[in-house]
Amino acid sequence: MVKVDFMAFDYTNKEPVIKMDGIIKEFSGVRALNGITFDVYKGETHCLVGENGAGKSTLMKILSGAYVPTEGTITIDGKTYTSLTPRLSKELGVDIVYQENDLVPTMNAVENIFVGNEISRGGLIRFDEQLKKVRELMGRYHVEIDPMQTIEHMSVSDQQFVKILKSLSGKPKIIIMDEPTSMFNVEDAGKVLDLVRNINQDGISIIYISHFLEEVRKIADRITVIRDGMVINTYFNAERNIPFDTITRDMVGRPVDIFYTKEHNPIGDVMFEVKNLRLTHDSPEINFSVRQGEILGLSGMVGSGRTEIVRAVTGADPRFSGDIYINGKKKKINSPSDSIEAGMAHITEDRQLQGLTLNASVLENMLLVGLRNIKAPFHYNCKKFTPKISPIIDELRIKMPGIDSEVMYLSGGNQQKVVLGKWLFAKENIYIFDEPTRGIDVNSKADFYKAMTNLAKAGNCIVMVSSDLPELISMSDRVLVIRDGAVKSELSGADINEHKIIKEALGVEKK
Amino acid sequence: MSNKKTAKGASMFRDARVLLMIVIVLMVIVVSCINPKFIRLTNIVTILQQISVLGILTMAMSMLMISGGIDLSIGNMMALSAVVLATALKGGMGLGLAVLLAILTAMLCGLLNGFIIAKSKCVPLIITLGTSQIFYGAALLITGGSFMSFGGKLDFMRKISLFNTIPLMVLLMVAAVLVMSYLINRTKFGRRIVAMGGNEKNAYLSGIKVVRYKIITYVISGFLVAVAGIVFAARMNSIAPAAGSGYELNALVAAVIGGITFEGGRGTVSGAILGCLLTGVISSALDILGVDAYLKIAITGIIIVLAVVLSNIDNIRKKV
Repeated sequence: MVKVDFMAFDYTNKEPVIKMDGIIKEFSGVRALNGITFDVYKGETHCLVGENGAGKSTLMKILSGAYVPTEGTITIDGKTYTSLTPRLSKELGVDIVYQENDLVPTMNAVENIFVGNEISRGGLIRFDEQLKKVRELMGRYHVEIDPMQTIEHMSVSDQQFVKILKSLSGKPKIIIMDEPTSMFNVEDAGKVLDLVRNINQDGISIIYISHFLEEVRKIADRITVIRDGMVINTYFNAERNIPFDTITRDMVGRPVDIFYTKEHNPIGDVMFEVKNLRLTHDSPEINFSVRQGEILGLSGMVGSGRTEIVRAVTGADPRFSGDIYINGKKKKINSPSDSIEAGMAHITEDRQLQGLTLNASVLENMLLVGLRNIKAPFHYNCKKFTPKISPIIDELRIKMPGIDSEVMYLSGGNQQKVVLGKWLFAKENIYIFDEPTRGIDVNSKADFYKAMTNLAKAGNCIVMVSSDLPELISMSDRVLVIRDGAVKSELSGADINEHKIIKEALGVEKK
Repeated sequence: MSNKKTAKGASMFRDARVLLMIVIVLMVIVVSCINPKFIRLTNIVTILQQISVLGILTMAMSMLMISGGIDLSIGNMMALSAVVLATALKGGMGLGLAVLLAILTAMLCGLLNGFIIAKSKCVPLIITLGTSQIFYGAALLITGGSFMSFGGKLDFMRKISLFNTIPLMVLLMVAAVLVMSYLINRTKFGRRIVAMGGNEKNAYLSGIKVVRYKIITYVISGFLVAVAGIVFAARMNSIAPAAGSGYELNALVAAVIGGITFEGGRGTVSGAILGCLLTGVISSALDILGVDAYLKIAITGIIIVLAVVLSNIDNIRKKV
């Protein structure tokens, strides 16, 4: 595992570089922020945590000048402002690294870093000069990427490094990182944490927004918890040992277990089997099976081949060879259509790109798969199915303006629930989840776990790919660790723990 | 049906159809004040008759665009099917058989488009630009480049009318609109192609056989194109190989004015037919006001640009 060295931050005799005081923000009468006071010292990492909708983003948008606060002041370098503009904020040295991809996919890292800020002479870009600058930055902050590589050919984590380098090239005083590691695998997340440390040592402060409490604990000098537009607590984290319970209790207003306690169901006969699966002619052979009522976790680093395996199983992608057996019978599965026919549900990893029709209604999205079971040779009126969809919406506690609302207006957690609802309506019995709770809030996660437990209890079986270790550990009856496209080990019972999984996933023992 | 709107449609003026209706009604009122002939029943029927070909083609284009496709070959495809009809009639074939042959021709053209697009996964815009040339070339080969007369064999289509006022060709257009609206809104097939247009990956992963559905949409489109071709032939009593070119773009414009987008998954056929009606009303109004023929073309262009900008009013305020 990656070790992060740190020195306890010394707050004595220092003045904050930025202080936001008594910030109130109202949107047409609704208070999103209710008197927040928040400050950052030079060279400090201050983590901001809170559930989705707690007000973190709104607060950061005020700091970056996108929003004008209703009340309150912002003091930067001793000067006090009642509001900022995006331009002023940038001039004062505030920069944001967004979670979403705002890089140009067809341009390389160097070009992306200098977009809008090119080094040129007489209108001609001086590429060598730019490359030199990028190499300097990489050396200074110990970042290893290929600066000539185009973004679309980079891993997600390298793209994240490019974004951070882009930000650093503007010589900011303070960088706001919005969920920088939510797309990282464990190893790369460690690199980001090192990078954060290096940036701090250069005197640049960081406001770090993250859902991953583990990494927050590793890097934060201070942690501020926001709930319902208010600061609940600010903790000093000099020893890097703040208890998770303290933070999660503040986040949700009640104590929660980050390890969901799953009921254990009786496990029946083998229901679903994958035999001799090869993705390509020279890839390793994969075999696994799942029993009725069982949840099988697939763990491994991002890029280890977990998603590829489940996509090949459901026919979403082609495979070189391999047979699929359901209740002992061999099934011909060459397309999602075949796998759905055979009773398999595939909750894909990217809800917006693959799981939803964003401009269609909640109702239509949820009917899409189950439509095949509806006997309507010709006339079909989707409204008639509202009574059948409503119980699923209630069960999953989907919050929405109405069943006719387009899903693009729902929050991430609710969108993900619509995806699951679509498969629940289709009444499948083998559920394959790929990163089911990525980027959704704590309460939605709990709803998801409950739904999964209910599915298992009802005699279905579940395969779950997840990078969220607490989730994987608490939900799985058995865990397969995938590395380099192969099943490296199978863990069950007490062996399902973070230590074992990470060791197997990284393959550290072999070295 | 309930009238409850979704979060976005809170204001009814955001619906392209409402805007279009207001524009059309206003235009009718203004022009009628200047020249009362405009509002006469005969003129209204004439307008409908003039847009009947375009209306049917717009239905084909709308379905394709809503499902995420597009077809720029429908103009030349229409001419080809009419040429086949003319040749068959000239060769002494019975009317019913000749019509069937014309329909089959266009459906085969649609099958060709659909098959290439679905299987090759190429951009339909470019593929159909190419096939458009194939269809044009075929029509030229069949006719030897000259126009063909129907010799009055299709005159009956102009004579049949409902209540002695509404001609068959207008009824065919109305039927096309009703059938297409039903197909898209009230059948599994329709809802699935809308889902496919909205997010093809999601549709595929939800078990929809997208290759098959794409091909079927282009074949249905071919059928409609043939119907348009027959109406066109009946109106003109003759056909030239190049007669259809330009119709595909007019159909596209009508669909876009009506709220259908290039991205797919959005829009309504009722909006598209209103877009069509708008172009018909403009054209007739300019005629009745005695506007110079050349100026009329330019003015039509201006109004179309305005209509498209107006129908896009929701997106204008977004910065990116």
